[in-house]
Amino acid sequence: MGKLNIELNDAKNAFAPGEQVEGRIEWSLDANPNALTLSLLWYTSGKGTRDVGVLCTKRIDSPGALGSDRFSFTLPAGPYSFSGKLISLIWALELTCTPGSDTVREEIIVSPTGREILLTSVAGQSEGKNNQSGPFLKRILGVPYAGA
Amino acid sequence: MRARDNPFAADRLERIRYRFAGTSLDELLTRLDDMNYRAAITGPEGSGKTTLLEDLRGALERKGLRTKLLFVNDASPLPEAECRRFLSELVPQELVLLDGADAIRRSSWFLFRRHTVKHAAGLIVTSHRGGLLPTLIECSTTPALLQEIVHDLTPQSPAISPTLLEDLHRHHHGNLRACLRDLYDVHTQSDCIQLRLQNTEVPPLPSVDP
Repeated sequence: MGKLNIELNDAKNAFAPGEQVEGRIEWSLDANPNALTLSLLWYTSGKGTRDVGVLCTKRIDSPGALGSDRFSFTLPAGPYSFSGKLISLIWALELTCTPGSDTVREEIIVSPTGREILLTSVAGQSEGKNNQSGPFLKRILGVPYAGA
Repeated sequence: MRARDNPFAADRLERIRYRFAGTSLDELLTRLDDMNYRAAITGPEGSGKTTLLEDLRGALERKGLRTKLLFVNDASPLPEAECRRFLSELVPQELVLLDGADAIRRSSWFLFRRHTVKHAAGLIVTSHRGGLLPTLIECSTTPALLQEIVHDLTPQSPAISPTLLEDLHRHHHGNLRACLRDLYDVHTQSDCIQLRLQNTEVPPLPSVDP
């Protein structure tokens, strides 16, 4: 099992939209990989299907078993990092090795405030809608189901 | 609770792999070889067919076999033109993995089966019912399996009892996907209830003179 590492300059992990994300990747692998790919991406986490958006990638062909390289990506204007009860949007840098399944991920925050935007629920907004289990959940939870 | 912290969030559920009862991935691979790579994974909705197909795909590729996966369901149908295009691009070394064989039209299915017999290394499908191809394995679930998965996702959750899991399993007729989706809400709601309880002022106990 090899080792992959992503290091952000000054350990900075919160960025404003449009800002540069810069740092260094390192690898120490058991065998010579065909390629290493560093991606700047966002993905959603929560209820339902997962979405992924890959903004840019940097591919290093025949990188050798041991090495390091610098990277610099420019962030787009959005989407911002946010979280609600139903969905979170998470930005990350991901370094993957081909072939194989070795992957390392470094999460970052993209937001004008430098912090993840927290969404507050709107009471009753989606209560019971599109959820056939609403009455069932109400019974087992003893409270109305509010999937906001 | 933030969605990303919910143990039943989609990205965490995607990491759950198929759990075998009474057989193993190696045994299935041997059986597939015996079946000349023409077989069906059957079972009801939410019983792990797609997960198993993905795991099989990984194992087949690790053996050096080439695979081509096609996913079909009611939301992502396979129009006949697309079916023909897919088939025309096949190469003889490729094993075709068709997830949702019973969701394609009968005419497309016959075309699919006929073409892959001649022009592909094999055809492995998932289907709710048997009869399309010889059955490789019939997937099913139990409340105990649900409990095992939930325990791995959230070892200590006061809101999730074995009785609740049995109720859920019965309510969804063994559809684990639907059970886990509901548990997302149960977890969110129980967290809100706990927060509410923590924020409720508890009156001090009356002092008792010794």
